[in-house]
Amino acid sequence: MMIIMRPGASQEQIDAVIAEIEKQKLTSHPIFGVEQTIIGAVGDGHYVAREIFEALPGVMEVQRISKPYKLASRQFHEHDSVFPLDGFTIGGTEIPIIAGPCSVESREQILEIAQAVKEAGANALRGGVFKPRTSPYAFQGLGEEGLEYMAEAREKTGLPIVVEVMAVSQIPMMEKYVDVFQLGARNMQNFNLLRAIGETRTPVLFKRGMSATLEEMLMASEYILIGGNTRVILCERGIRTFETATRNTTDINAIPVLKKLTHLPVVIDPSHSTGDSAFVSSIAKAGVAAGADGVIVEVHNDPAHAISDGKQSLTPEAFAKMVKQVKAVAEAVDRCLVDSPLPLRIPYGDGKG
Amino acid sequence: MMIIMKTNATPQQVEAVIASVKSAGLNVHLSQGVEATIIGAIGETHNMPTELFEVLEGVEAVQRITQPYKLASRQFHPENTILPVDGFTVGGEEIVVIAGPCAVESRSQIIETAIAVKEAGASALRGGVFKPRTSPYSFQGLGEEGLEMLAEAREKTGLPIVVEIMSQVQLDLMVKYVDVLQVGARNMQNFNLLRAIGETRTAVLLKRGLSATIEELLMSAEYILAGGNQRVMLCERGIRTFETATRNTTDINAIPVLKNLTHLPVILDPSHATGHADYVAAIARAGIAAGADGLIVEVHPDPAHAVSDGKQSLKPEAFAAMVKQVGQIAQVMGRSLVSVNGAYQSARQGWA
Repeated sequence: MMIIMRPGASQEQIDAVIAEIEKQKLTSHPIFGVEQTIIGAVGDGHYVAREIFEALPGVMEVQRISKPYKLASRQFHEHDSVFPLDGFTIGGTEIPIIAGPCSVESREQILEIAQAVKEAGANALRGGVFKPRTSPYAFQGLGEEGLEYMAEAREKTGLPIVVEVMAVSQIPMMEKYVDVFQLGARNMQNFNLLRAIGETRTPVLFKRGMSATLEEMLMASEYILIGGNTRVILCERGIRTFETATRNTTDINAIPVLKKLTHLPVVIDPSHSTGDSAFVSSIAKAGVAAGADGVIVEVHNDPAHAISDGKQSLTPEAFAKMVKQVKAVAEAVDRCLVDSPLPLRIPYGDGKG
Repeated sequence: MMIIMKTNATPQQVEAVIASVKSAGLNVHLSQGVEATIIGAIGETHNMPTELFEVLEGVEAVQRITQPYKLASRQFHPENTILPVDGFTVGGEEIVVIAGPCAVESRSQIIETAIAVKEAGASALRGGVFKPRTSPYSFQGLGEEGLEMLAEAREKTGLPIVVEIMSQVQLDLMVKYVDVLQVGARNMQNFNLLRAIGETRTAVLLKRGLSATIEELLMSAEYILAGGNQRVMLCERGIRTFETATRNTTDINAIPVLKNLTHLPVILDPSHATGHADYVAAIARAGIAAGADGLIVEVHPDPAHAVSDGKQSLKPEAFAAMVKQVGQIAQVMGRSLVSVNGAYQSARQGWA
């Protein structure tokens, strides 16, 4: 950290800052300039809050030099994290594709879509049963009944299931069913939920908040990592900007920036990041071309009558076409799609531990 | 246009709006709902401001149904516009790669860069001679001297030159030298400049403003098209957002959205859109995968000592690696990079 003193700060104020640095078990390194004094605080300071120094008299500004996160950083873990998810891996050469409806609407709907996306090349099935809808009057999801349907879809297709968790209270029940927790954009900074997920050993698809910076996203992922759950997949799903032509703005820069800052796998959600099925395929290709490790896409057998996100959902046919295009792009960047997911579940770990 | 009346609008207010719609030469389609009355104004409305009806009493909101631009729209011109620029085309199957320094700094710098980018596979040379720098104390460009140097680089390499124009007063001078006029992000809504460029027949690379919506970009293109200059390329160069990890945020959605809304070619500038050389190749690949018709990339022989934009400039070797990667993506998309074999024919002779 660099602590920049105000012009004219007194020697006592400077000494007080140096004393505080030493109290935090860091080494002080003052630089006396013509106009101002800058004091470097050297050491492993990722756990030291900037506010400690900002509050001291005579301090103008505190700048962090090292990253405020550690476990998520590439300095801490140099090589890409590659982990298995039910018959395939994420973060390595293989690019998994997760597909399915926004919401589980009925048994028939999810079974039909699961079969269709599997045939089209999906490696995992998504489907929400607890839905964080903007309006409290909108469909809120089928709850545990929906999880039963998802489990049946998994039995029938062999696809692992990715389901959003919205509250700490849902964790024990959901853990019994799901292969991957999804942590939605609106919960990216729900720190109690993050800590609770960190205590589980279920992999997490971790979505970026609508107005979260990449640093904030990595800080939030750190909450899960410190609990010992190391299987975190980051997801760019578009940010809020002034542009209204699309639902969100895909921050495609986030892909190479995250790959540089962190070892965690990074996937792209072109459905939410555009909000329009006409643009999903282009952005899926762009994501993989930029270095994404996977794609999560909304697919519905009847988008016009979907309960939610119909406008951004692909039909199974359009999805099959997208998979072919993404495969070609993956090969152009020396990656590949998952060849053939195994039909049986491969348990990973033993739950807690 | 749809004119939505307030729930408590009086019949007299509705009548007044209807009269106003008719006097604007439009047809009326009245729909009386349970809570509100909606008046459809049907006809040629792209050149009509919504304010015309917004100011009337009893009006809650006015919504446009058709796009406020015409010449730039795909409805008006369903096929892609394919622009010839000096031995290649933009907007067709070929993908153009424009490369060069942010600013022309010296004769040796621009000629060295031109030769290097050409060898690496560039199809055109960029270089600024009038620089819109944030600080008035920063280097402002070499002016006409820089144009002479760019012209010499073109003679030596056969690469057409793309140069930013900042002001109408530069136009007469610039059209004598340049193959493509660049309108920078900060001038996207410099409407006098746009109109003046519309009067020329020089190709234009129109960059999106830092906080301009896609619709505003297309409206600006309309200014140039309305003057009769149809050789307009649009350029996504990143927008201003809350994210600070990169200089700008590449709005990659803009590529398929623009290709859907307009027939004009769409180029991506991964250098400004990221602000960091480390990310340029990844975003260049993403742009082509998303359907862009070309790239404009900053390349400098010595980025550490560049007068401007050093941090986002690629070295010639990194640029060559990027071109190879982009070529592979282009192939997958059923397209190919422009192959430049040195045959220089003046676009200004070939295109009237």
